[in-house]
Amino acid sequence: MDRRQIMDRLIGGLTSLRLTAVCLILAFVLVFWGTLAQVDLGLYKVQNEFFRSFFIWWTPPHWGIKVPVFPGGYLVGGVLVINLISSHFKRFTLTADKAGIWLVHFGLILLLFGQFLTDRLSRESTLHLREGESRNYSESDREAELAIIDRTDPRADSVVAVPQRVLMRQREIRQWALPFVVKVRAFYANSKVAERAPNAAEPPAATQGAGRHITVQAEPRVAEMEERDVPSAVVELVGPQGSLGSWLVSEYVNEPQEAVCNGRTYQLAMRLRRFYMPFSLQLVEFRHDVYPGTDIPRNFSSRVRVERPDTGEKREVLIYMNNPLRYGGETFYQASYDKDDHGTVLQVVRNPSWLTPYLACLLVGAGLVWQFLTHLLGFTLKRKTAPAGRAPAPASAGLALKQTKV
Amino acid sequence: MVNCLSVEPRRPKLGWVGLLCLAAVLAGCGRNDAQVYRVAKEQPPAASPAPGLPAGHPDIASGQPKLQFKVPAGWQEVPPGEIRLASFRVAGAGGKQAEVSVVPLPGPAGSDLDNVNRWRGQVGLLPVAAEELSKLAQTVEIARQEAPLYEQAGPVPGSGETNRILAAVLRRGGIAWFFKMTGDDALVAQQKPEFLEFLKSLNLAAAAGSTNLPPSHPPIGGGGMMSTSGLMASVATAGEAKPSWQVPPGWEEVPGGQFLVAKFLIHGSGVEQAAVNVSSARGEGGGLAGNVNRWRQQLGLAQLPQSEVEKLVTPLEVQGGKAILVEMSGAGAGSGQKTRLVGAIIRQANGTWFYKLMGSEPVVEREKAAFTQFVKTAQYAGLK
Repeated sequence: MDRRQIMDRLIGGLTSLRLTAVCLILAFVLVFWGTLAQVDLGLYKVQNEFFRSFFIWWTPPHWGIKVPVFPGGYLVGGVLVINLISSHFKRFTLTADKAGIWLVHFGLILLLFGQFLTDRLSRESTLHLREGESRNYSESDREAELAIIDRTDPRADSVVAVPQRVLMRQREIRQWALPFVVKVRAFYANSKVAERAPNAAEPPAATQGAGRHITVQAEPRVAEMEERDVPSAVVELVGPQGSLGSWLVSEYVNEPQEAVCNGRTYQLAMRLRRFYMPFSLQLVEFRHDVYPGTDIPRNFSSRVRVERPDTGEKREVLIYMNNPLRYGGETFYQASYDKDDHGTVLQVVRNPSWLTPYLACLLVGAGLVWQFLTHLLGFTLKRKTAPAGRAPAPASAGLALKQTKV
Repeated sequence: MVNCLSVEPRRPKLGWVGLLCLAAVLAGCGRNDAQVYRVAKEQPPAASPAPGLPAGHPDIASGQPKLQFKVPAGWQEVPPGEIRLASFRVAGAGGKQAEVSVVPLPGPAGSDLDNVNRWRGQVGLLPVAAEELSKLAQTVEIARQEAPLYEQAGPVPGSGETNRILAAVLRRGGIAWFFKMTGDDALVAQQKPEFLEFLKSLNLAAAAGSTNLPPSHPPIGGGGMMSTSGLMASVATAGEAKPSWQVPPGWEEVPGGQFLVAKFLIHGSGVEQAAVNVSSARGEGGGLAGNVNRWRQQLGLAQLPQSEVEKLVTPLEVQGGKAILVEMSGAGAGSGQKTRLVGAIIRQANGTWFYKLMGSEPVVEREKAAFTQFVKTAQYAGLK
């Protein structure tokens, strides 16, 4: 079989309707299975393992390796998009009477691709403010980071932020900004800590900082949406002169922990992953109004002051339900509040591809309208030009699509 | 007819598709690498007191809500430490020491059996089995709730001293609160009454914390929810603190629905009947005028300004709070029938209670005295 024949067979497979049917069936099974799995695994774990992956992996009992058992969302969706694009270019030429189909197909491709971009590029985080408090960063709801903060400079802090996914996968973290290597001795995706009695047989979690008085143990991953994993890690810092010691970093640890290397002081903190913005929001007032005599909420609103140092902008904005603040590429929604009504929780959404669903719907709509009008016009013209006494030929005869048999 | 087989198949632009996909994937890559940046130093929140407070009054609006408690005499508050929310040191005679800690941990934080055996190990005692656990538990009051307290004493391994541990666990709102007193056996035994009073004095409603989150973490999706589920939570909260009352004879308790703490039906002759609704709200719940006008609206009566509303109400003696009583007659909004309403508003430290007797005039007149007695004798949680 020569190269051209191989390519033809490959293209034939990629463009076949059979592949489309198989992908759609796999998608149905994936959604059904994911829905059931969510009961035990939780929404976020299922999203990551079933839909934001190329394969669903499984570790057989007593095996040390993971095996793929089913295609994941990325693979099924990716093959569907390739199949759609391939078969479109193979079967359709761009003519006036097929322009509608082109628009519809491109709209579908844009919709699928746009959702893929949204999944890869969008970000949701939370901004919690007490009245009077100002912040220029939002925090992830569920992901933590190890922040190594050089506080030596009195004017500003230099931060090396290591996401928890990196801590989970890497044993050593080397960063040009750090004079030491961070060795991850243990990582607990979900954990709990307990105070360690002075004479306890169990060794302390670490040799420095809070870890000398605390023990840590792994906990099962949470599945409920209202809960989240609280990760902890034991990290050892190894400088040019050798080990500086090990620290237990965890959100449970309130006190700052410090390490000194080459005359500079570094603070270690496990905290929710932060996303800094070039502007800050200050909560001026939070209002929670209820209907008289009841606890039925009538209104939640946050009056915030936006300040942007580089432009000198300072203004107050009211954020309330269904009226978010769109600023600086971020959208701030009124999401929740503190129980004492003196704090607000804003959901911060960044989605660069937010326009794609709208454009896609426009394209599909325009394509359908074009295709319908083209057929209607052709049929109308045929009726007018048909000889008297003879019925016009069926509309489809004059507008046969130049398709090959699938 | 077009011969479909005569059309040359066009090769799909797979290269472009692949490049676009690769670009998208690469655009998302790098998000999980370590990042390096410079930020301005974080300033602590300004500690300015809220306007209108007297000079010297502690500020109440800044920072996270704090745990509230009454510190027993002889206890010295010390910096809380790594995972503690509060910490105290107690000094006894002869240099004996004990320490008290308050540690909130998200989730169940282990079973009682695990924790009790851990504490037993700290004082050199052997672990116990699950069936013996209940015999070790003493029921105590923590922040107006019942919770188990476990007490064990024994020689500390390696030291020969005898230590005693008093430890109580309260699980609430997805957080396990650990209250522990540890130290010299005799000192801790002597301080036990103070420890129990400390537990009673706790106010956890003001403390930070939400489901499965470390202390000071903002709630995910709600310290209050922007939906009726939040309302269900608030009604459930009211249900937890449902008053105890003496229900008069002839009152039939029925399901109150989503917004009521309790509801009673009273039957009269024929089709005559009345209903008693009990509800609660945080704070003033809309104020006197707001609520009286709401009731007036239900009777088809015109709204009145505050000054006129105050003339309609009479004070009512109730336990532990200030109350007013108001009576009015009108036409029921739904039925158009002559309807009488007797309402009581009781203002308490932690909220406002609303009692409303409304229905046919003869029934309301007959039950008015019983209603007033019902309101006056209601016992609220925390008030003895």
